[in-house]
Amino acid sequence: MLVSRPAVLGINFGQSYASIAVIGKEGHASCIANEDGERQIACAISYNGEEVYIGNGAKPQLVKNGNNTIIGFRNLLGHTYDEVDHTAVFGAPLIPSSKTPAYTVDVLVMPPAPSAPSTRAGSTAPSGAATPAPREPEATKKTISVPEVTTLFLSTLFQSASDFLGVSPTGTVISCPAWFSADQREALKSAAADAGIPVLQILEETAAVLVGYRVGLTEERQERALLGQPEEGHKGEREDRDKTVVVVDLGETSLNVAVCKTGEGEYVKLAQGRELNLGGKSFDDLLCQHFAKEFTKKTKVALTIPCTESSSQADKRAEAKLRLAVEHTKRSLSASSGAATCAVESLKDGMDLSGSINRMRFDGLAAPVYRKVADKAKAVIAEAGLDICQIDEVLLAGASTLFPGLSAHLSLVFPPTTPVTSALDPSEVIAIGCALQALHLSELPAELKVEDVLKLAESPVDTTAAPIGIVVPGQSNDDLLSAVVVPSGLALPVRRRVEIPVAQGTEKVAFEVWEGKDDVKVDVLEKAEKTADDEEDEYSDEEDEPEEVRTPITKKTTLLAGLELALTDKAAKSVLFEVIVQKDGKVDLRLWQSGKESEVAVASI
Amino acid sequence: MASVVTLPFQLTAPPAEWSKPSTTGKISGKCSSVSPVKRTLYAAGPSYISAARRQLLNRTFEQDDEATHEHRETQAAKAQAEKGEELYPGLGEEVEDPALLRMDAKEWKKQDHYAVLGLGDYRYTATEDQIRVAHRRKVLRHHPDKKASGSTGTNDDSFFKCIQKAFETLLNPETRRQFDSVDRAIEDFVPNAKTVKPEEYCDVYGPIFAREARFSKKQPVPSFGAMDATKQEVEAFYDFWYNFDSWRSFEALDKEVNEGSDSRDEKRYMEKKNKAERARLKKEDNTRLREMVDMVLASDPRIKRFRAEEKAARDAKKGAAAGGKGKPLTLAQKKAEAAKKAEEEKKAAEEAKAKEADEKAVTNVVSESNYFQPQGTTPSASTVEKQLTELDTLFELLEVEESRELKDVVEKAGKGDVARDAIKAKASVAAGRGGQFEEFA
Repeated sequence: MLVSRPAVLGINFGQSYASIAVIGKEGHASCIANEDGERQIACAISYNGEEVYIGNGAKPQLVKNGNNTIIGFRNLLGHTYDEVDHTAVFGAPLIPSSKTPAYTVDVLVMPPAPSAPSTRAGSTAPSGAATPAPREPEATKKTISVPEVTTLFLSTLFQSASDFLGVSPTGTVISCPAWFSADQREALKSAAADAGIPVLQILEETAAVLVGYRVGLTEERQERALLGQPEEGHKGEREDRDKTVVVVDLGETSLNVAVCKTGEGEYVKLAQGRELNLGGKSFDDLLCQHFAKEFTKKTKVALTIPCTESSSQADKRAEAKLRLAVEHTKRSLSASSGAATCAVESLKDGMDLSGSINRMRFDGLAAPVYRKVADKAKAVIAEAGLDICQIDEVLLAGASTLFPGLSAHLSLVFPPTTPVTSALDPSEVIAIGCALQALHLSELPAELKVEDVLKLAESPVDTTAAPIGIVVPGQSNDDLLSAVVVPSGLALPVRRRVEIPVAQGTEKVAFEVWEGKDDVKVDVLEKAEKTADDEEDEYSDEEDEPEEVRTPITKKTTLLAGLELALTDKAAKSVLFEVIVQKDGKVDLRLWQSGKESEVAVASI
Repeated sequence: MASVVTLPFQLTAPPAEWSKPSTTGKISGKCSSVSPVKRTLYAAGPSYISAARRQLLNRTFEQDDEATHEHRETQAAKAQAEKGEELYPGLGEEVEDPALLRMDAKEWKKQDHYAVLGLGDYRYTATEDQIRVAHRRKVLRHHPDKKASGSTGTNDDSFFKCIQKAFETLLNPETRRQFDSVDRAIEDFVPNAKTVKPEEYCDVYGPIFAREARFSKKQPVPSFGAMDATKQEVEAFYDFWYNFDSWRSFEALDKEVNEGSDSRDEKRYMEKKNKAERARLKKEDNTRLREMVDMVLASDPRIKRFRAEEKAARDAKKGAAAGGKGKPLTLAQKKAEAAKKAEEEKKAAEEAKAKEADEKAVTNVVSESNYFQPQGTTPSASTVEKQLTELDTLFELLEVEESRELKDVVEKAGKGDVARDAIKAKASVAAGRGGQFEEFA
């Protein structure tokens, strides 16, 4: 029998696209399609006469009805008009407003019904009055502020989820970008509350990705087959307890990179960075330029893309058309390995566009974007004070990371043992993470309140500053730790337990506990002697550079304690060692033989 | 719970020159764990919630481990209880033996119908409702449609057929009786009464008789009783078992009539053989039961106790008669006693004879007065029988003088209501001694 799961909802509310996920049977979170059958729901609202289009239906409206179509409103939440960039080429323009940014759109509304004459009641006698003319909707201007747009949009998402579940969700987690200020989060929360959504938490996208992948939850992650596939090493087979993870979230309009420490499922942010105007839009731009060039070459009709404010109306319309078309091209590029086509009827001056692009050509075009993404990731890793070889895993999120070229590029940047994981669909992982988080929060024990739980992470928490590990006497390399038990950067208090196998017949075990320092060992590999008949000189220049092999190591710095334990049980195969670092930085060490918890060697610092 | 990671190396004994470093006091202030770094924590994930729980409820790791463990267990128990109770009321879950699942439906005669339906713990005690519920549960689980769409993808409905056959068999009272009669899963071992210790006697034979009691047509069956049962109870018990009326029959062990043969003679021959075999088995079973009761009765410590008690009572009586002297009896005394006893017996026989004569006389009167039914009607057989049995009981319970008295009164009255009233009067006396009367109440 299935255990009934609470009806909870996760909303990935992106700048360009949103997605919703619910908890299905057996506790699996999955992304659901809205009533239009779309999993990726465009964040767009278009007013056309009496009609209001919300979601993907609003996107085509950009072509002919651009002034009444609202896009890209999320990032404006919680800002004043002066703070935001209001030079958008497409979509409804922002109007200068005192506080909240707002849009003005043309709509047709029914005029208020004329007050009916009261004398006519009950009388069928012909009166002199003419039959009232059928009421015509009147064109008026409607002003709608950004929070109102958000509320309208979120309420449609919520409605879709309610229809899917059959009941109204009791808890919802909504994602927001990492750089959202407290004000913006508050604005998003109140907009959602206005839409009648029971908001549990506004969750950072990075955290949602980590929750979605269940990073650090060793068993669960293995069970659900969410591990990445590195070229080498064991990381594709089992999940480590403590990891350093890079989350690369390449959305439609921006890139967000975060470096996190994941200690047994507790996620600590080490560094993060954001690159504006790098994302799916960049690929769109590249494709648009590519096809515009091709169009000009074939038809001799001039078309400059991207448009500026001064561009002609025809160009603007052509760009909007082309943008819609390349969106499709982009998707087929990431979905299939073959060539992707792009066809637009009457792109400009009555000329049609019909072209195709294959993956290799596209990867060539997009290489600068890939490089930018990798550079940003490197920069953020450096900001965290880490080396690229100390990264255990790269997690991909955001629909734009679906390009195989991008993950291929990233896996070249990172060591071959580091998986670049996209086991969950990157376009869905944030929504899935939000839904899982909503599930976790809704299953809190009765004595805990959601607000209290979330409050604990509002201000920065204490984390371990340096790794703690053991040094086995008589080991070969003197200045290194034999094994790290508690890595640095874990939220306090922290407990780590390791099992150390013991050689047969050992009567006493002993080791020292040291504090360490993470470092990188650089081995320079001398190139093998070049074969004499290597003729191509151009290439040989590059190969002359010695190859560096970088491995993460932990040097020992301070001795904390020595521990010894006499083994009373000769048959024991292992000893257990436990380290607890308390909130005040106090360290408790315990060592005992497996199965004999009564005989324990203790030390505390 | 704390997760454990196994380190990839082995510990051996430390080298001789290594000594435990003394670190007390030396490192305080130097250790950078003492001055933690502030970093942002994402409020996300189950582990964060666990950490928050520890912090908010002020628990240490150990306390939290315990609390979560407890919580999990109660949850599991609750889930189990809900699962078991709601869907299949009163039916526990039974593990399905893989060998059972592989069973061939053609061999249905050999299958254990209760096990197939998951009622192995209930067997003959299963009610019809339980059988229906169990059948429904099994069908939901093993329906061929479900299997075809499931992981195995096989379209094997052999076990489903077994389920249907088991349900059919158990729902029909006649076929169920036949199956229950030869239910191999219920053991029929009876330990030898001589080897059973007296103090364990009731514990050993109680369940055995309870087991055998299922075959009784008459229900409820008196229980074996405890060691301190009264004489009456024990006698009633053995009485019942000597008059045991069993519904057990052995049709289920019939040999199959050869299917290929359509010879009527052969069929008849087989039927006849089967019938003879059934009768033989039935007889054997009755003998088995009687022998068992014989054996149990023979060494029943309670019977021995009653005998001892009776003897003690007699001895006490005798002792009282002998003037309370505890002396052993002399030969003369013994002789006197024997004579007395013989006399008593003689007297009792005479009395019985007299009573019999009285009864006959009274019965005559009763029959003459048309069994106290209105003149001209014929008394129904049951009334007659009842009145006669009651008269039997009445005279059994009356003392010899009383019976004489009754006879006199009745004979004097001749027939009619006076006689009846007289009998009724005596019957009420006898009722005080344990008799039950309806006609003469």
